[in-house]
Amino acid sequence: MHKSAAVGLSISVMLVSGYAVFAATAWPWKAALFPLVIGIPLFCLAATELLWSLLGAEPPSAPNEVELSTDAAARRRVVRVAAWMAGFFVAIALLGFPIAVPLFVFLYLKLQGGEGWVLSIVLTAAVAAAFYGLFDALLHLPFPAGWLWSWLGLA
Amino acid sequence: MSEALLEGLVLVLQWKALAFMMLGIVLGFWVGLLPGLGGATTLALMLPFIYNMQPVEAFAFLLGMHAVTATTGDITSVLFGVPGEAASAATILDGHAMAKNGEAGRALGAVLASSLVGALVGAAALALAVPVVRPLVLTFGSPELFMLAIVGLAFIASLSSHGGRGLVRGFLAGLLGLLVSTVGQDPQAGVARYTFDSLYLWQGLDLVPILVGIFAIPEIIELAARGTSIAGSLPAGRISRGALEGVKDTFRHFWLTIRCSLIGTFIGIMPGLGGSVAQWMAYGHAAQSARTAEERKRFGAGDVRGVLGPGAANNSKEGGSLIPTVAFGVPGSTAMAILLGGFVLLGLVPGPDMLSKHLSVTYSMVWTIVLANVVTVVVCFLFLDQLARLTGVRGSILIPLILVLVFVGSYTSNNHYGDMVATLAFGAIGYLMVLAGWPRAPFVLGLVLGKIAENYLYISIARYEAAWLTRPVVLVLIVIAIAVIIYPLFQARRKAAHA
Repeated sequence: MHKSAAVGLSISVMLVSGYAVFAATAWPWKAALFPLVIGIPLFCLAATELLWSLLGAEPPSAPNEVELSTDAAARRRVVRVAAWMAGFFVAIALLGFPIAVPLFVFLYLKLQGGEGWVLSIVLTAAVAAAFYGLFDALLHLPFPAGWLWSWLGLA
Repeated sequence: MSEALLEGLVLVLQWKALAFMMLGIVLGFWVGLLPGLGGATTLALMLPFIYNMQPVEAFAFLLGMHAVTATTGDITSVLFGVPGEAASAATILDGHAMAKNGEAGRALGAVLASSLVGALVGAAALALAVPVVRPLVLTFGSPELFMLAIVGLAFIASLSSHGGRGLVRGFLAGLLGLLVSTVGQDPQAGVARYTFDSLYLWQGLDLVPILVGIFAIPEIIELAARGTSIAGSLPAGRISRGALEGVKDTFRHFWLTIRCSLIGTFIGIMPGLGGSVAQWMAYGHAAQSARTAEERKRFGAGDVRGVLGPGAANNSKEGGSLIPTVAFGVPGSTAMAILLGGFVLLGLVPGPDMLSKHLSVTYSMVWTIVLANVVTVVVCFLFLDQLARLTGVRGSILIPLILVLVFVGSYTSNNHYGDMVATLAFGAIGYLMVLAGWPRAPFVLGLVLGKIAENYLYISIARYEAAWLTRPVVLVLIVIAIAVIIYPLFQARRKAAHA
């Protein structure tokens, strides 16, 4: 898993830096200078890292980083939490923050966390109150209505 | 001078100024705790409220709020692995690792005590340095500032070293961060770079959504993958005793804390580098202070020195960045640029007047930084048990709450859905980087320094052509950068030869 991640990341960075250098060649030197100064060594280093990953031993973790759990059960949980994050984003876009936030908190606590009704309802209410009190009433931050309400002509 | 210093204290202790300072502290406390909702953004939001205030009251309010955000931002970094402030990200590396090792109390004690030391050093620097700082700032031109950025990057990249390959990965991550910073309209020719006809990308990628994504998302995913609390199944221990241990750590490594505070102050003085750079430089210095390779490996796994360094630096930088703001009207950071707006609103002109006619107002700022930090640290210590116990809360309860903070914090940085997409995208990149063994710190430093470094490089070449490389300070900085890169390799080789 670690090796395939290292190979995948190296290839992605090679592609990105290769494109960055290619695109920069069409710009005036003022705009191209920095991307070229960065992009060329980045491509070379990514190629070195790719070769190292393919030919060398299993890469060690970076010393300043967390150790990730990679067993089968952990991988399933990773996919699940990624799906929840994507779902939360879609809910925010469709319903807007004021509805998506309490809805997400309640559903996560109940369905994913398996928490009791009382805790789920109390926490959801507390988050909704804090969200409204801080961001809406105090800071007056503009949270637009969701796209769904616009499509239905309700916004 | 001592008379003006005393007068400044008296002004801050007047009930109205004190009340506004307390209000600022309360706001700053929560703003710091909430990831993404930055101190600078809140300063901007609060500016309209100072119209009817006296200068001392206004600065007590604004500075009181701003001075504590870094301290409480560190708390979020330690407990949740999410940077409460952009300037608190480096605290995650060891602070959050300590929390996961069941040492949340000790990490919080260390970060709070070092924050206080840092704030006091920064305030003292502001009080003492004004008369002597001008020649220092004027010695550094664009070539020197560009090289300072490169030295910072070399510092962080070398920290990621497990020999040569680690160094390659460190530089890969740093250069990737620099490349990401080039997205958007370039400042010299106005060309839209890597924008793919997207209006959102024209402005460039904002730091906050990327920081939140790259640090918070992998932590949340790992918390879900483990299926436990942040501290896992480890016993939290007696938190108050742990906190006291953290305070003792600050004094055990007192000179390191002072040195990191001075690094923060110095970076704060340098216009344009900002607090995000200060914490990483200080972290780099703290890790460099490890005597052996074994000792260095502990950094990132929960070494208290990795908490003390950034904790001290991100607070001391406030005093430092006020120096060029007050003395020359040159803001040392985004927040200081906004504060400069406050000067204008209040009819004050930064410069010689602030050092003569309004000297007591200048010194009231020093006292505000001191008092705000003392109050915050005392309050934090009083509620430490409650704060540290949060790491024992089940992951299934914490995850939705942290995700709300992540998405709200990300969205409110620009009020754009694109920021949330950026958070998710960079969260995935951050997770891949951790999985592949690439360090994230150099990426963030590259991203922070990118625009500044590009600007300085362009000016250096346009003004001096290749001759900028021969300037004495630049040469010294090049030597330092090379030494920083070579030293870990030399150390590893020497260790291999001994084995």
